[in-house]
Amino acid sequence: MLFVKLAWRNLFRNKRRTIIAGFAIAIGLAALIFMDALLIGEEAIIINAATSSFLGEAQISREGFRQKQMADMTIANFSGVVKNLENDTLVEAFTPRTQAFGTVGSAADVRGISLIGVQPSTEGNLSILDDVIVDGGFFDGDNPHDIIIGVKLAEIIDVELDDKLVLSVAQASTGDISQQLFRVSGIFDFGDRSMNSGTVFIRLAQAREMLGIGGTAHTIAIKFVDSNLSRDTTSTFWTNYSVDGNEAISWTVIMPMIASMSDMLIISKVIMFIVLMGVVVFTILNTLFMALYERMFEFGVLRAVGTRPSGIARLLLLEAAALSIVGISMGVVLGLGVTLLIAHIGIDFTGVEFSGITMREKIYPVLKGSQFIIYPIAVFILTVIIGIYPAIHAARIDPAKAMKRSF
Amino acid sequence: MADNISEQIIVTEGLKKTYDETAVPVEAVRNVDLKIEKGEFSALVGPSGSGKTTFLNLISGLDTPTDGKVWLNGKLMSEMSGRELSDFRRDHIGFIFQAYNLIPVLTVEENVEYVMLLQGVPKEERHRRVLEILEEVGLSEFEDRVPPKLSGGQQQRVAVARAMVARPSIILADEPTANLDSATSGALLDTMHELNKKTGMTFLFSTHDQIVIDRATRVITLTDGKISSDEVRA
Repeated sequence: MLFVKLAWRNLFRNKRRTIIAGFAIAIGLAALIFMDALLIGEEAIIINAATSSFLGEAQISREGFRQKQMADMTIANFSGVVKNLENDTLVEAFTPRTQAFGTVGSAADVRGISLIGVQPSTEGNLSILDDVIVDGGFFDGDNPHDIIIGVKLAEIIDVELDDKLVLSVAQASTGDISQQLFRVSGIFDFGDRSMNSGTVFIRLAQAREMLGIGGTAHTIAIKFVDSNLSRDTTSTFWTNYSVDGNEAISWTVIMPMIASMSDMLIISKVIMFIVLMGVVVFTILNTLFMALYERMFEFGVLRAVGTRPSGIARLLLLEAAALSIVGISMGVVLGLGVTLLIAHIGIDFTGVEFSGITMREKIYPVLKGSQFIIYPIAVFILTVIIGIYPAIHAARIDPAKAMKRSF
Repeated sequence: MADNISEQIIVTEGLKKTYDETAVPVEAVRNVDLKIEKGEFSALVGPSGSGKTTFLNLISGLDTPTDGKVWLNGKLMSEMSGRELSDFRRDHIGFIFQAYNLIPVLTVEENVEYVMLLQGVPKEERHRRVLEILEEVGLSEFEDRVPPKLSGGQQQRVAVARAMVARPSIILADEPTANLDSATSGALLDTMHELNKKTGMTFLFSTHDQIVIDRATRVITLTDGKISSDEVRA
């Protein structure tokens, strides 16, 4: 116990140095806590942006449709799948869509586009299409020939609200060209270049008619009650709906680069830990060695009066531990304060595109209890491990040399 | 080797220490044969560079002789490992340094009890013995103070208490009065002399101070690493 007291009191023999070293540890720890919280928040925003903007947390489609995008590859037993989804307690919302390639033409220009047929009554539950309309409305009224186009496409083909467009697609079964005239009822801005310039939306019923696919659809986008289900590869949901030639897949399969972001974040955290702790390590080493050399005579005296080398080492390790506790205490408070502040304000990355996903809201760091357990423990252990080097150095001092002319 | 080595606290035989770290090797101690009896109150004197400190380092195990042997309390020191030497110093040697060398962040009581702590003495007994020895050295009621709050004389008394409380076989004091005024030095020496008479504890001083020399019952003079005289007084 006296060694613990001695170590603790030795720490404050040079208050300034201890506070500076403690701050170095504190800043390192606070940075770790904050960055961890920020990365969690960033991941959540990006995933949310990916899944809630249009993709959904899962999709059901005909097996092979994602790769081939053939108009005749519609969902098998569509009504049965819909009925099951309506009764599925895991599912919060779903919406059917058709998807085909076609062209859209105005007086000025003709462009190739991706034509998506949506069900307005359910589409708003899955995507933000109804929220990103910048001009006009989201299928307001009941005109079956309403079309919503992207802001960039409108500019390219030089159309405005209420202008007429000719939409052309190949029918699924025959391949014959189906053409209809549509009225621009809405212009959207998804914040995504490819969507804004290459995607148009019409009502599902109209799309089915043009494609000649009857009462079915190409995809059903799904939102779960518990979003974590989308990452649960063991759930029976996937097998239950991957029947009759259909496949039910998570967004993690559709957008694997976003899914792999979690792995990237883990690597980022590890790199961050190494870099930040590298600074802390050298600060601690410097502090302990300075303390050791300043008190070399004292250590010689301690050895002279009978302290074993292991006792000297233990004293240095206890001082390292005490320094760590000082730094960790400050770091926890600093980390909590900074993270709470930023969590209140948020960091604005709206409009920034990441792997095809446009950020639509601020990033708010997410605090978790584990950040205040794992990181402080890691810093403590690291500090004590680092303390071993000066401790061994201290244990090996020659008492006579340490005390120079006096013994 | 001397007969009756058990009556002698320290015995050296052909003790030699050469430092060859510089271009010219330095023989700090040259073939010293010495016996210190139990209960002596002896002074080791000599000019600076005569080898006094080196000699004390050798007999306390803080340094290793180039040649020769040292027995302390009948134990041959060269046969001990580093850890055994540490334990041996803990149990058999008390040190008093020129610069007191108290631990400034520990109280007087904590400084004095330090060696007993290393010895594993129980807390209650440590406390009792600390209070006893502080009374012996005239520092009762000082146990909660810290060294920076004490005068030089008081700090040296604490150092004396620390050296003695663990009941060593011998106290080795290196210039214990060097940083004290003559009045304080005299008072301190009288205290140590009293303790020597009362307890029979052996004292060996390395000193230039006439105050110490005058009180010593034996004066051993070192010159250029060799004993040039050895005077036993009545």
